[in-house]
Amino acid sequence: MLSYLLRRLAFMVPTILGITLMVFMLLALAPGGIGAGLAVSGGQMSDTSKVAQMQAYMEDRYGLNDPVIVQYVRWLGRISPVKFGMRDLRTPSGERVAPPREVDDPPLAGSFPPPAAPQVSFLPAAGEDAVPQFRSLQREAEGTRREYVGSVRLFRDALADWARAAGPEMAARLDAKGGARPASFEDVRFVPGDPACAGLAKAAADMHAKWLAARDAQARAMIAFRAEPYPKSGIPLVPGLVSLDTPDLGVSFSRNRPVADLILTALPVTLLINLIAFPISYLVAVPTGVLASVRRGGWFDVASGFLFLGLYSVPTVLAGVFAVGFLANQQYLGWFPVSGLHDSAADAMTFLPYTDAAGTWHRGYLLDTAWHVALPVLCLVYASFAVLSKQTRASMLDNFNADYVRTAKAKGVPRNDVVLRHVFRNSLLPLITMFVGIFPAMLAGSVVIERIFTVPGMGSLILEAIDLRDREIILANTFMVACVNLLALLLADILYAAADPRVSYE
Amino acid sequence: MSERAPASPAVPAAISGIDVMRGVGAVRAKGFWADAWERVLRRPGAVAGLCWISLVAFMAVFAPFIANAHPYTLVDAQGVRSWPLLANLSPSDWLLVAGAVAGVPWVFLGPSALRRSQRLGILVTAAIQAGLIVLLSSWAEGWLTGAARADAVKAFARGEWGPAAIAAGVALPVSVLAFLVPTVDGRAVRGAAAALVAAAAVLACAFAGGATLVNFEQYVEDERSGAIRDVTWAPVPWSPQYSRSDMVAVPPGTRVADWPKLSSYQGSAFGERRLLLGTDALGGDVLSQLLWACRLSISIGIVSTGISVVIGVTIGACMGYFGGKVDLLLFRVVEVFMAVPLLFLLIVAAGVLPRDTYVMMAIIGCFSWTGAARFTRAEFLKLRNQDFVQAARANGLPVSKILFRHMLPNGVTPVLVDASFAIAAAITVEATLSYLGLGPDGQASWGKLLSSATAATGTFVWWLAVFPGAAIFLSVLSYNLLGEAMRDAIDPKLRKAAH
Repeated sequence: MLSYLLRRLAFMVPTILGITLMVFMLLALAPGGIGAGLAVSGGQMSDTSKVAQMQAYMEDRYGLNDPVIVQYVRWLGRISPVKFGMRDLRTPSGERVAPPREVDDPPLAGSFPPPAAPQVSFLPAAGEDAVPQFRSLQREAEGTRREYVGSVRLFRDALADWARAAGPEMAARLDAKGGARPASFEDVRFVPGDPACAGLAKAAADMHAKWLAARDAQARAMIAFRAEPYPKSGIPLVPGLVSLDTPDLGVSFSRNRPVADLILTALPVTLLINLIAFPISYLVAVPTGVLASVRRGGWFDVASGFLFLGLYSVPTVLAGVFAVGFLANQQYLGWFPVSGLHDSAADAMTFLPYTDAAGTWHRGYLLDTAWHVALPVLCLVYASFAVLSKQTRASMLDNFNADYVRTAKAKGVPRNDVVLRHVFRNSLLPLITMFVGIFPAMLAGSVVIERIFTVPGMGSLILEAIDLRDREIILANTFMVACVNLLALLLADILYAAADPRVSYE
Repeated sequence: MSERAPASPAVPAAISGIDVMRGVGAVRAKGFWADAWERVLRRPGAVAGLCWISLVAFMAVFAPFIANAHPYTLVDAQGVRSWPLLANLSPSDWLLVAGAVAGVPWVFLGPSALRRSQRLGILVTAAIQAGLIVLLSSWAEGWLTGAARADAVKAFARGEWGPAAIAAGVALPVSVLAFLVPTVDGRAVRGAAAALVAAAAVLACAFAGGATLVNFEQYVEDERSGAIRDVTWAPVPWSPQYSRSDMVAVPPGTRVADWPKLSSYQGSAFGERRLLLGTDALGGDVLSQLLWACRLSISIGIVSTGISVVIGVTIGACMGYFGGKVDLLLFRVVEVFMAVPLLFLLIVAAGVLPRDTYVMMAIIGCFSWTGAARFTRAEFLKLRNQDFVQAARANGLPVSKILFRHMLPNGVTPVLVDASFAIAAAITVEATLSYLGLGPDGQASWGKLLSSATAATGTFVWWLAVFPGAAIFLSVLSYNLLGEAMRDAIDPKLRKAAH
């Protein structure tokens, strides 16, 4: 059993790699690429060079200017529990502090020789001063890096302007969008005194000054980081090289918050709806399936089959729109709340309902939640009735034909006992695996339902992330959903083996 | 012998053993598919479903003639009669009508030299061929008239013979491909079909109108002022792209002149029109959009399921036939697609890719093939050790022949039954994506209408939920009923139990 488990878990790794790579590639394929959503945030700035610098900073911060596959590997490195290289630090509040990033050399460094670099050496503060000093150095490193990255973008713009002015041969080296790739100008001899080069040389000097500042600030921040103002995060496996740590889901582009936080606030909402829906669908569908199989071909069998197939044919969207429109909207019945998970006054409510001294009845937190959740749950459960009751009916019918049932009947076992104790108990086995089929469907269905009823769950989170092209949230969601789904599959197989002694994975 | 025995003199009153050996009185057994089909037709639910699907298909083909804001015919101030509706039909409209009017009867009543399944195969190939020619030539025209092209190229593409030349250039390779599809063994038949379709498509692309932006209101104003007369309108005189800002959210059954903002049309022919199913949040007629959206509903289900069946059967056949490492590797690919709920993946893909009908068909097809692959794999695992497969292999047939000529016809049944449910699922997915605002742009769709029912803040427009909702529900239910009936018809376990 253990070896089976390990093999299954090992097979999950390529599956999760595959699905995340596919989603990553899909996002990269999209018009505008991965950073399309970021460009929007710079929209209100009128100065184009400011926008370009802002864009360059965003691209540098999230590593968007690297090839897609490099970005994917970097994402994997963050998500993987096994970390290589220098370990992160962790603040007392649980925030992760990564080491300050290396500053790249400026482009065309050979053509515009930089001034001599000063050596950085200082002793980091210890004790109480360590944290504020590290914080300010880190901020300085981040700020100078931002300036430097912006100046590189301006230098590239100046290079493109120069190339266009320098004639068709140079202009041909520009890429399709008219931007300059410094690597394609490596062989050009720039003469700093040449008036045609004046703008370019000025941009290069500015860039080099900012590079030095950024490099020195990085070096200082690194020294402070090495002094460990916070404890190290994770468990070392090979000191200095390999360590174990919790997966880092990244920081959302659009909300600027750790994705793990966003998911942790959204997940309980989705789980609440799904966990209420599950027992309901089993409680309705299994007895119906049993009754239908006992009177096979009777009116109940036909009617329940037709009704459930009809319900199965109602798309979730349709049910949601009808529920919101007719049951919740004040124009019509208005019995249920239209949106949200709680009343706006829910925080002040007691948990259980009560009647106060004046005789007015208060519904309390529990009933308020139930009232809000009723319609979303209704829309989530009805489609699974058909699948579940059909499966129950089929496996009951299979067992009715078995020899041991005939023996029981022949012995004179009462009919109810035959149905419930012999047939039904043996028919339960396939139902165990059924939830694996229903679970992903419900997970996906709740995406739609959360949009219709504006419930702040995982579905709302992912839809918002797609609108904003927020790569980190989409990927983290894919990762989470895939993990939950694959573990549910595995759990079903284990439960099946536990319930049925004939099944063995040895 | 029953009393209604055929009056054929060849059948004697009593049959001897010799007669049986000679085949006298033998009834030819029905084929597997004919038998299954007959069982399907015995189910009233399945027949009702077929009727609804046929109705939707009919509307899909003839929507331009039923719901159109161009009049059939009119006489202008100079006394010249013109036919605006016909002049504005697009190439695909013409081809659809031609295919439906000529092709469908040919399949059902055609020459006995070809079996009906062969005729159906030829019609399906022809439909794909014509669709590809129209689609690719419209893409090619867009590319050739793009901003980056030279002026001479643009002038040629926009010129009098430009569309015809482009369509002919596209039609040649597509028709060669269509000729190579092995629908029947006779090359003459395949060649004639491919050439006929190519000629029809090129003619349609060359001479059909459409694509020009029209001001539908001009007809109404001209009719009121008397500039045109003898106007004959289509039964539903609205087009899906015709919307008026003074006609937003009109309830069903309203007479145009009774709507306060349009009371100035009192007494004119336009004022006498009825908005049978009301208008949407942008002021477009709901009925005409419902009718035109039949096209998307029919095509998205069939095309996306077609793509998924082709991908799934190919991959599943390879897994089942080769087994071993191929199976292990490809099954990981299947698992990747199954690791995340399909709808989740489709939402991500539709969210980041362009909002286009063909892109949507492609992503639904490319992400939902795992079911077909698993069914085919299971069937092929059973088949690969059977004698006829061994014999084919011993004869040295190429692998593609063994897989698709010998094994596939014996193992395709579960996939085809599942396809009916897959079409239903594709329609649901389209409605869902359109509701979420991720549907195709510029195309009437039931899901889009449904989403506009709650779009206006606070108000719920019931006719925008009920009518498109009913259309979606009936279509999904029809395909599900049909699938259920087919599954029962071919399930040997159930059949045995029934006897």
